[in-house]
Parts: sequence; structure tokens; C-alpha cells
Amino acid sequence: MSLPLSGHSVARFGPASFLVHRRSVAVAAALLVLLFGAVVASLCLGESSVSPASVLDVLLGRPSPDQLVVGELRLPRVTVGLLVGLALGLAGALIQTVARNPLASPDVIGVSHGASAVVVGLMAFGYVQTARQVPWVAVAGGLAAGLLVYLLAWRRGMHAQRFVLIGIGISIALSSLTSLFLTKGDGLQAQQAKVWMTGSLNGAGFDQSGYLAWVLLASVPAVLWAARAQRSISFDDSTAVGLGLRLNRIRLGTALLGIVLASCATGAAGPVDFVALMAPQIAVRLTRGAQLPLCCSALTGAVVVVLADLLARRLLAPVELPVGVVTALVGAPYLMWLLIRSRRGGS
Amino acid sequence: MHRLEARGLTLAYESRTVVEELDLTVPDGAVTVIVGPNACGKSTLLRALGRLLRPVRGEVLLDGAELAGTPTRKIAQRIGLLPQSPVAPEGISVGDLVARGRQPHQSWWQQWSAADEQAVTEAMARTSTTELAGRSVDELSGGQRQRAWIAMALAQDTDILLLDEPTTFLDIAHQVEVLDLVRRLNRERGRTVVAVLHDLNQAARYADHLVAMRDGRIVAQGPPAEVVTAELVREVFGLDAVIVPDPVTGTPLVIPGAPWAG
Amino acid sequence: MADTTEPGRRALLRRRILWLTAAVAVLLAAVLLSLTVGSRGVPFGEAVSALLHGGDTANAVVVRELRLPRTVVGLAVGAALGLAGAVMQGVTRNPIAEPGILGVSQGAAAGVVFAISVLGVGSLAGYVWFGFAGAAVAAVLVYALAGTGRGGATPVKLALAGSAMTAFIASLITTVLTTDAATMDRFRFWHVGSLAGRTADVAWQLMPFLLVGTALVFAVARGLDALALGDDTAKGLGARTGTTRAVGALGATVLTGSAVAAAGPIAFVGLAVPHAARALVGTDHRWVLTLSALLGPALLLLADTLGRVLFPPSEVPAGVMTALVGVPVLVALVRRKKVVAA
Repeated sequence: MSLPLSGHSVARFGPASFLVHRRSVAVAAALLVLLFGAVVASLCLGESSVSPASVLDVLLGRPSPDQLVVGELRLPRVTVGLLVGLALGLAGALIQTVARNPLASPDVIGVSHGASAVVVGLMAFGYVQTARQVPWVAVAGGLAAGLLVYLLAWRRGMHAQRFVLIGIGISIALSSLTSLFLTKGDGLQAQQAKVWMTGSLNGAGFDQSGYLAWVLLASVPAVLWAARAQRSISFDDSTAVGLGLRLNRIRLGTALLGIVLASCATGAAGPVDFVALMAPQIAVRLTRGAQLPLCCSALTGAVVVVLADLLARRLLAPVELPVGVVTALVGAPYLMWLLIRSRRGGS
Repeated sequence: MHRLEARGLTLAYESRTVVEELDLTVPDGAVTVIVGPNACGKSTLLRALGRLLRPVRGEVLLDGAELAGTPTRKIAQRIGLLPQSPVAPEGISVGDLVARGRQPHQSWWQQWSAADEQAVTEAMARTSTTELAGRSVDELSGGQRQRAWIAMALAQDTDILLLDEPTTFLDIAHQVEVLDLVRRLNRERGRTVVAVLHDLNQAARYADHLVAMRDGRIVAQGPPAEVVTAELVREVFGLDAVIVPDPVTGTPLVIPGAPWAG
Repeated sequence: MADTTEPGRRALLRRRILWLTAAVAVLLAAVLLSLTVGSRGVPFGEAVSALLHGGDTANAVVVRELRLPRTVVGLAVGAALGLAGAVMQGVTRNPIAEPGILGVSQGAAAGVVFAISVLGVGSLAGYVWFGFAGAAVAAVLVYALAGTGRGGATPVKLALAGSAMTAFIASLITTVLTTDAATMDRFRFWHVGSLAGRTADVAWQLMPFLLVGTALVFAVARGLDALALGDDTAKGLGARTGTTRAVGALGATVLTGSAVAAAGPIAFVGLAVPHAARALVGTDHRWVLTLSALLGPALLLLADTLGRVLFPPSEVPAGVMTALVGVPVLVALVRRKKVVAA
């Protein structure tokens, strides 16, 4: 018997059964290949070029003359970029689903600006001295701002528009505060803070950002839960409640997960703009599904950040651009092309 | 004991009270239709029966247990509901939409059982939406879309079905088709149906139990033949009318009297 | 649900007139504060006489030569942003759309960067034309982009194309500025979003555009009311959805372009003011537009004045202060009211 669900297949394991959207799987596989290619290219190219074969040797742990350049210098940076991209792509999909707004992203609900305000504030007035402290302060700032927005928007339940609107208001207020700190703070520290604020992978390494890998790993069960829950929250509220969904709990869980992931990513690389907004919108136009695909959004985010970092290093070499500047150069034209081509109208 | 009951129900939006101290027993295995003028609280009552609106006072009982204290998923396995203007996720296909009706019967590790398959296939066959399965809901005509939504509510496979004006946006042929479908479900499957309808004549035709409301209160209820009288139509709708037997079914037919002749 | 009964309508009209009067009063107060408060406090009477009768006292000169142009520019920019925001939220049917959503602000920024780095333009008054041209080019590009492909320029496509364009131009600008430190310095002065140092020239340059833009957006007010009901219903009501959207977007672009060119990108006014207006007078666009045109400059002038006295002798730019002043109000309003997109 053919499934009434076109484009899906069922995988059965004893009593358990899983629905699989075939196109999403194909897109995810393609993105994985692309991501691998981007990572290898990023490891090959730099001030000195390394052959792909040599890069593979390093990745597989075989002895190689390029161990230092590839393994010690480039690999940590590329890995952090990849993790940041995964986290931001996921966070974007989650937040856009809760907010029911394709313009929503961590900068819209206060996370990026909260992290910036706290880091810049503490840095400019000399409370943060070493680079090691920055990620933790940023994570705390992002979480605090995200939660503040959620609490302010909560009034007998969560209303999507109230959430984004309050989020945007708080974001702008926080970015104003950041500007104030920058003008009032002590010169050198303020300069450092500014560099952090553009979002950069320069000097990123495992010791500062390794936590991101653990956070992503730990969030896998939550993401699996969210992937299923968000299938149904894009209905209107009445229909969703009629289907037996606990809307408020699902919204809180999804938003929290998004806030945590975005905060942790911001801690690792500073506020990298636009990835979280763009990745889910690109992914959904590729999978042509009925909701923002979490896995494909994460992979798209990773591809964009890794490619953007490569471009940031090589575009004006030897001058290095912050990755946050270049993400839009990589992703925006592609998103625009998709907007023209896509069947998804958007009404 | 009846499965779905409302006791001393007071319903309000913010501070505006819409329904006050209302008692209603929904007869099992019958089609109950709620009628009344605009803003009489009929949709509000239906929303409360489907736990979409929490009562200010009073309670709705499902199988003797208060609705507000029952897990929403457990309710969803027993009550299916179709709101007035439902919104589908953008770009969803008809088959996918109908399949979402199975949500309350599924879990994370049981995403598609044989029962799901059967319920969805059957719901689509009953609503003649099978051939639309691959189409996007956005592209459907009003009638097709409404049938897809009804199919989703059917796929939920509940004993009780709440429908809020299921015939709006439909032409007369599709209206009859939908109401016939509801009737068949009730007769063949013993489903309990509660529907809000605008058209008094359709209500009289399809209801076993008619509930007439005005200003948040029930004015009269019972079999249509007993309830629909000229006095009631005047009292509830403020309309002078003549009641004649429907030439086809014999149910009461409301003919508005004394038209404006210019 | 709107109360359409006769007493209901009359109560609504009373409330609208009440809030309109209140908004006018607040705006007048803001203008007075803007003229009298600053690093040099000028007594109220003296300020008025300086405006009416001239005079050569130090206070009179400060009021006439510095504060008056600045206040006039603030009035124009605030009104333009308030109006443009209200229209863009209606056109995109998105409550978080702001005047820069079509890439206008970043387009203007690109124009200014071009003027500084390539042509060596050095004065604020000189930037205005380039800012304006950049804004126009960006808006046309975004509109063309969103209009191509399936379904034409739908709200979601407009919003997405706009933010993609905005991010893209912002990246380009940063990339260029990274390699050009001299331009960076001058650009930063403009980019911060401020009313400081704006002269009478700037105000005069702005006026014709402001008038044209205002006329355009008021012309589509009724059409926007129809659009809020969804495209199909709007068409059913006889509104030409495509024309309404295009004219509205054009008006908003003209307004935003001139505001941004004059004062730099000032966030928040265009986003928040229409929401405040809707919370006070309901969803009728003629009222929303009118009130936005009053509340926008009130917010901007209050923020600018506060920025002058907060950390003397240095000034906090208006672009920074608007959000700090306005956010508490916005949060309170949004919590109180059901949010409407347009």
C-alpha cells in the first residue's frame, strides 16, 4: 500500500516506527558532502597551501609534514567554525518556529545583543581581563537577555508576535547600551571589545570553545524532541490544542533550546550575524517540507560559517576579516537566488 | 451518564462575559447542532467544550472527569475538533495535513503505525481527498480545503467531534456534501457530533438535538420538530417567519415572512 | 472585534481625538525642551524671544543657529521614520518590519561611503544626496528581487529579500572600510545616527522629499487598511494590492532615505512608534499614520535632548538614546495590548 504521505518513507524496527522525509535525507546527505568539502578546502588553503592528500593524512592521524599548520593552527579554528554554524543554524530554526516569523533569529530575541552588552560592558570597564573569561560571560549575558525577553513576553501564555516584538525592543535597547559602554569605556579595552563584537574565529581554539561540542552533544535528545514537537506548532493555536499539544510547554522548550544554543555559539565566536536567520530559510527551500528542517538548517549553518571563514581569511589576505562580516557575503546572494527560484511563495 | 456535559458554565474573554451559568448535556451518539444569532456565544461554548477556552466558573465534564484537569493529549484521543478558520503550516501537502490528525495517537518512537495508515487512508477516502494527497493545501479551492481539514479531524479517530461552522466558504452542493458526511459518520460509526451552524434550516435538517442560544443562554433545546417554532424564531433571531414542513425530509423549514416589498 | 455600534464609534472617535491632542502636547513639549535644554540652559522666555525677535545675545545665537536647525531636522527625521515604519509594517504585514527593512538604511550608508571614499565629499550636507541615491537603488533592487518569481512581492519575500540585501550591503561596507581607515573615521561620524551638527541646509534639503513621501503614504492609507485583511479580501474590496504595496514602499523609501541621509541610521523610532500609535488609536491607517508622524519626532527630540544632558560635556547620540527612552514604553504597550501586525 502506498503511503498517503507523498515524499515520506517509514522505517520500522519492531514496534517502533519512524517517518522519514526522503528529500530532507537527500538534502542532508548533499550538505554533509558539501560541508566535508568546505572543511578540507579550509584546511588546505591559507598563507601556505597544503595538498588535500596531506590534509587527509592529518585528519586520519597519519604522520604528515603539515601536522603543525593543519592540525595545530587550522583544524581548531575550522572545527569551532563548524560547531558555531551548527548551533546557530539550529537555534535559528527553533526560534523562527516559535516566533512564527522568518525574520526572527538570535539577534531578534535579545541573545546576541545581550551577550555583546555584557561582554563589552565588563570588558570596557576592565572587569574581564583575559580572553578565557569571555565565552562564559557571553553565554551568561545571552541567556539572561533571552530569558528576560521570554519572561517579559509571557502573559497568560506565549504569543508569537509579542515575543518577537519585545525581543526586538530589548535587543535595540541592549545594543544602545553597548554603544554607551563603548563610548564611555577605557580606550584600549573598548577597542578589544569592538573586535570581539564583529564575530571572529581568529584565534579560536578548543580550550575556549570546546564546551560548544559538549553542549551540542548534550542537546541531541532535546533536538530530537523538538523536531517532532515543532511539526505541529505551525498550526493555529486552536488546531494545535485540538491535536493534544501542550503548546506553552512546547514553545518554552523550543525557545529555551534555541536561546541556549545561540548563547553558547555567541560565546565561542562573538555575535556572528545573519547565519541563524538565513540557514533555516535556505534549508526549507531546499527540502521543500512543511516546516523548518532542524538537521538541514544546522548543516546549512555549518557550511555557511566554514565557507565564510575561509573567505574571511583569504579575501583581503594578508588582512583578515572577521567571519561575522563575511557570512552575509556568502549566504545572502544564495538566499536571494532561492527567493527568486523557489516554489515556496510565502503569503 | 453522558460523556460530554457542561455545568454552570460561565465563559468570558478578558472581562467581557459571553456565556453565563450554562448547563448542557450532549446526547451520546447523536448530532447536536447549536444555532443562534451572531455573537450569541455559540462558538464560545463550542470552544469551551473542546477545552480551547478555560471557563471562568463551572466545568466541562468528559466521561465524568473535569476537562481542565485531564491531560490535553488524553482529551485529543477522545475529542476531535475543527476550529472556524484553521491555519495550516505553509506548503504542507494534503496527505501530510491529514496525517497530522494522528498526532495524539503517536509518540516519538511510534511515528507511523498500521492503525495510523488505516485511519488516514479511510479518512481521505470518506472525504474524497485521496486524489488530492500530493497537492499543497495552499493551492486548494475552498471546498477542497475544508474537506481536507475535515479529513484531518476524522483521522484523529475520536468518538466525539466538534465542528465550528464547517460549511462556511462552501457552495450549496459542498455544504450538503459535508453535512451528509457528518450524518453518515454519526449513523454508521455512532460518533457524537456537536456542530455550530449558521443556517437554521440545515440545522433542523441534520440535527437530532437542536440547541438554540441567545445572549449567552440556551433558550430552547430538543428535537428540531419540537424546538423550531415561529415563536422561537422570533424570540431568538427577532425574525417573523412561517414554519412549514420540509417537502423532502418533513423537518421544520423556516420561511421568513412579510418580505420588504418596496 | 471592533465595536461598530453608533455609541461605540463615537467613543472610539473621542478616544482618538483625545490621544491626538495628547500627542500634539507631548510633541510641543519636546520641541520646547529641545530648544531650551542643553549644555547651555536657555530660559524659556528668552528662547521664544530669540526666535520671534532675533537678538545677538549668546543665548539667542545658540537657540537660532544651533538648536533651531537641529530641532527642525529632528522633527522632519522623526516624522519621516514614524510614517515610514507604519507603512512598511502595513506593506509587509510584519510587525517587526522597520523602515530599513527594504535595505534602505544600508543602501544610504553605501551611498555615503561611496561619496566619502571615491568622491571625497566632506560635509554632512553633501552626504545627503548620495545617501538618498543609495537608499533608492537598494529599495528598487529589493523590490525587483522580491517581485520576481512565484507569487510576486509577497510580504514574506519582501521581508526576507530586504534583510538579505541589508546584511549583504553591510558586509560589503565593512569589507571596504576595513581597508580604508580615513573613510572609516568620517563614516563613523555619520553612521552613529545623530542630530548633532545638522544645519539649516540639511533641513531645507530634506523638506521636498518629506512632503512627497508624506503625500504618497497618506494616499495609500485606505489601501493599507484593506491589505491588513489579507490579499484576497483586499482584492475583493476593490483595493489594487500591487499598486498599494508599490506606492507605499516608494513613499516609505523616500521618507526613510531622506531621514537616514540627514541623520544616519536611527533604529527603533520607525519600529516602535507605529506600535504605540496602534495601541492608542486602533488599526485605521489614517489615524495610525497621523499619530506616528507626531510621536516619532516627539520620541526623537526627547531622546536627543536627554542625550545632550546625560554625560556633559559629551553627547550621547540620539540613535543610541531613542531605544533607551522608548523600550520601556514599548514593552508596557505590547504587554497590555494584543499585537496587531498592521
